Order: sequence, then structure tokens, then C-alpha cells
Amino acid sequence: MIEPSLALYGDAFERVDRHLEELLGATGVRYCLLVDRKGFVLSHKEALWAPRPPALDSVATLVASNAAATAALANMLGERTFSEQIHQGENGTLYVESVGDQALLTLIFDASVPLGRVKVQTKKIITQVAAILAELQDAPPVQFSEDFSKGASALLDDLLG
Amino acid sequence: MSTINFAAREINCKIVYYGPGMSGKTTNLKHVFSKVPGHLRGEMVSLATEDERTLFFDFLPLDLGSVQGFKTRFHLYTVPGQVFYNASRKLILRGVDGIVFVADSAPNRLRANAESMRNLRENLAEHGIDVRDVPIVLQVNKRDIEGALPVEMIRAVIDPKKELTLFEATAHTGGGVFETLKSVSRLVLDRLSQNK
Repeated sequence: MIEPSLALYGDAFERVDRHLEELLGATGVRYCLLVDRKGFVLSHKEALWAPRPPALDSVATLVASNAAATAALANMLGERTFSEQIHQGENGTLYVESVGDQALLTLIFDASVPLGRVKVQTKKIITQVAAILAELQDAPPVQFSEDFSKGASALLDDLLG
Repeated sequence: MSTINFAAREINCKIVYYGPGMSGKTTNLKHVFSKVPGHLRGEMVSLATEDERTLFFDFLPLDLGSVQGFKTRFHLYTVPGQVFYNASRKLILRGVDGIVFVADSAPNRLRANAESMRNLRENLAEHGIDVRDVPIVLQVNKRDIEGALPVEMIRAVIDPKKELTLFEATAHTGGGVFETLKSVSRLVLDRLSQNK
């Protein structure tokens, strides 16, 4: 396939999760998402006080697509990539930083949070998260049985007729 | 291959609707959005121009339910069909697990269908992948228009070896939409269990 699968599980998932939790506490952001380059949410955390988050699927898809488009622009300009993106509005900011070549760390926060603090704290954990994702590259491929296919087919019949 | 999140017990698969401009890719997604119960689908995101031509992509997340304890979800995308948006098409193919090629039955679109399939092969090749390595279903759309070309004529320019499963469709009324989606979804899930 074009893109390798990312199978987050067990200890690796918990370590990533802890890093996101730490980042949330250290920065004061509302939402913190780890998104793979295909646009799927690998892990997410939100502050206790944060309002109901926006549709995370859509956020992840748009963030990944935007990052892909930005990377294509970078290549055209002779750069390997642009590693961070910042979108600032009147009340809120979206900050996206690459985690190696595999994922994107996305933070959403309001005007009360200084961008500088977010950048510093994010860079601190990126290396650690990237190392965990790199470990997963060597993990054995996930196996699903024939029963999986049968169960999925039955659900497809229910959903699509 | 699909993104598998063991801890969250989720499997996510990406299906892309490909084909020439105005062949009905977005219409397919709109029909799915309108018919699938709200709790099984997410928001439909359309990045379109003012005249509703797809600029970057349309996106619709769809929940299949739980299979062996894994919440299984399809992310449906369309690409912009117009020739000059190739950079966007290439980006959207990233990580694709299955493709629906939507062909146009209009008599003057035979060449556009062929060009689009050629473009799909080229874009996949640029990602280092052979077109035969991705599950693809062929949908021949707009069967209800006046002067619609014979299906076999369309197939001859897109799939001369008859390797793809073919569905006739009239996406604006919903005809053939779910059959097509079901077929490609099944191929993607079969691959998952075969670990390809």
C-alpha cells in the first residue's frame, strides 16, 4: 500500500497518551491530537474544562490534507518540508507540528494561551513521541482472522443493504 | 494499509472516489450522506468552489460498527476531477485502501474517462504502487442520460481486460451507489483479513 499502517497498541499507546496528557497540562491548550499522515486520529486528549470538541475526524482529515499540501509547496520551493503550521484567528489558534514523517501533533487553544509556550512545550515531547512511533515500525503486522471478514460483511449488509 | 489503533480498538480505512470531472463522485457521497442514519456517519466536509466544483476533496466518515471488538470506520473521499487539479488528486491518494472509479456515460466523455484512468495509474505509480495492488471497483454512472454510451464501450477504454467489478449507476437518484460502496468496502476488509 501507499502508506504503511500505524498500529498503536499496548505500552506504546500508553506512553504516547501520557505525553499528550503532559503536554495538555504544561500548555493549557483545549485539545491535543496525534494524527497520522492519512488523516486518522491516533490519540487525543482534551482539557477537563474544554467545551465539546469539534468533529475530530474532520479536524484530522483537514489537518493531514493541509500538511500534505504544505509539504508539496515546500518541495516546490526546494525545502524537504515545512515542519510546523500555525493558523491564528481572532479567538483561537491551531498549531500543527510534524512528528517525524509519520504523524502530526495538533493543538487547539484560545487567545489566553501564549503561542511561544505551546511551541516550546510541543518541541520537548515531539522527539519522544517520534521515537515511540519509530519503534512501532518494527512491530509485527496485525493479523485478522477469516471471521473478521465474515463479521464485517454482515455489518456491511446491515448498513448498505 | 488501514490504520489500526489497538488501544482505542479502531480500524480506519480510506476509500477514494476517482474519475473525470462532473462524473458524479460528489453526488455519490451526497447520496450516502443523505441515506445513512445520522449516528453512523460524521459531518460531510466539502472543499468546493463557488459553483460547487470540488476544489480539494469531499470527505465523509462512515461507521460500520464493531467487528470482533474493533470499531470499524470508512473514510470516504472524492478527488477534484478537473485535469488541472492533479496535485490535489495525488495528495488525496495518499494512504488509500480502496478506490471507486466513477466513469461518465455521456458520449462526449469517453476520452475523459480514459484519461482519468491513465492519470490514476500514473499517480499511484508515483507513490510507488501498481494499480493492481489496490482494490478498485468501476462504477459507470449517469446511465439514465440520453445517448448514454454502452457500458461495454466505456469498459473497453477503462478496463479492457475486464478485471474490475462493474456497477451501473444513476447517482443522482441513488441507483447503484450503495452496491458500489458495499463492493469496494468488502474488498478492503477482505484484504485486511488476508493481511495484504
